Amino acid sequence: MAGLVRAGFSFAKTAIFSTGVRSIATSKPLHLKEIRERVEGSTKIIDAVNVPSPRTELLIRAENLPNQVPAASTSEKPPCYMCALGLDVKHTDVLIVSQFVRSDGCMLPRKITGLCRRQQKKMGKLVTMAQKAGLMINLTPDYCKKDPKKRRDYKKFNTYFDERTIFMKRIPKPVDRFKR
Amino acid sequence: MSAAKRVQQWATFARSWHIFDCKWQDPYESANIIKKYLMGLHKPIYHPMNDCGDVVVCINSRDIALRGDEWRKRAYFHHTGYPGGASWTLAWELHNKDPTMIIKKAVYRAMKGNLQRRHTMQRLFIYPGENVPEDVLQNVTNQIRQIRLVPTRLDQIPEEVTKTYPKVMDYPEDYVLK
Repeated sequence: MAGLVRAGFSFAKTAIFSTGVRSIATSKPLHLKEIRERVEGSTKIIDAVNVPSPRTELLIRAENLPNQVPAASTSEKPPCYMCALGLDVKHTDVLIVSQFVRSDGCMLPRKITGLCRRQQKKMGKLVTMAQKAGLMINLTPDYCKKDPKKRRDYKKFNTYFDERTIFMKRIPKPVDRFKR
Repeated sequence: MSAAKRVQQWATFARSWHIFDCKWQDPYESANIIKKYLMGLHKPIYHPMNDCGDVVVCINSRDIALRGDEWRKRAYFHHTGYPGGASWTLAWELHNKDPTMIIKKAVYRAMKGNLQRRHTMQRLFIYPGENVPEDVLQNVTNQIRQIRLVPTRLDQIPEEVTKTYPKVMDYPEDYVLK
């Protein structure tokens, strides 16, 4: 029922707001938008320009890799690209983790990353770990203390994290064999 | 005795010096490694009654790394012996006071509490930075391998490496670049 209503809404929307002109493309190009500001005389012009993605050339996908065996999945849904790659990403692999953040160091939403739920949660935690360990200090807001040594109290010392704790409901205390 | 045998004999009974870089190492994990060299457990001639332990020099103990939230959760207990003399110091407070104390206590507690322990601890040298006295450094003949990889910060990686590194995530269309 909900689907029927939605279809009706979208049909009405296209009927009302259709411009009549549609761009036709045989392939689906990857466009990014960049907001540009320029001043011409007394008017300020702000426009969004489509730019090619800088990452398309370097993109690694599991299906493009040679001698890659497609994973026999029991479910009908295909795995997301990170599940298909099957990489063991640690929080110290900043070159991979930093691809999922904005320039201010925030994790991108799932709508943009296109990950599955589990991978999105995992990558989000890895980003947090890398930021707390002070490994991505150039991807932080301006007001952030860039140098980890200048942080306060316990934050100024080196910290590492255990990736096995990401999906643990209750993180166990480290066993202290020497405790009296 | 042949020359090779003579060297082997000398190497077996000599007290050799090892260096260990504590940068980004967990002190409680590395204490178990350091302990083996201090007590001489890595030698085939080990026996608790023979004094075959080596000397270990720990450098960069200021840059040790603790796991997760242990800097503010781990407490060190001390009691003066007087009533009300108990005190608990958090790991980061102790590290502020003395950057060599955590690794020293970790190695001390990793060993069995017997009469030999305090003498074995005398063979452990800990330095907070890289400044090691020359007379200590010239004895060092071996380096103990670190347990964890020292992580590289993103701002220390050159720009062209970051740009040309293979990507796994691509932006969707209509993403406004920020």
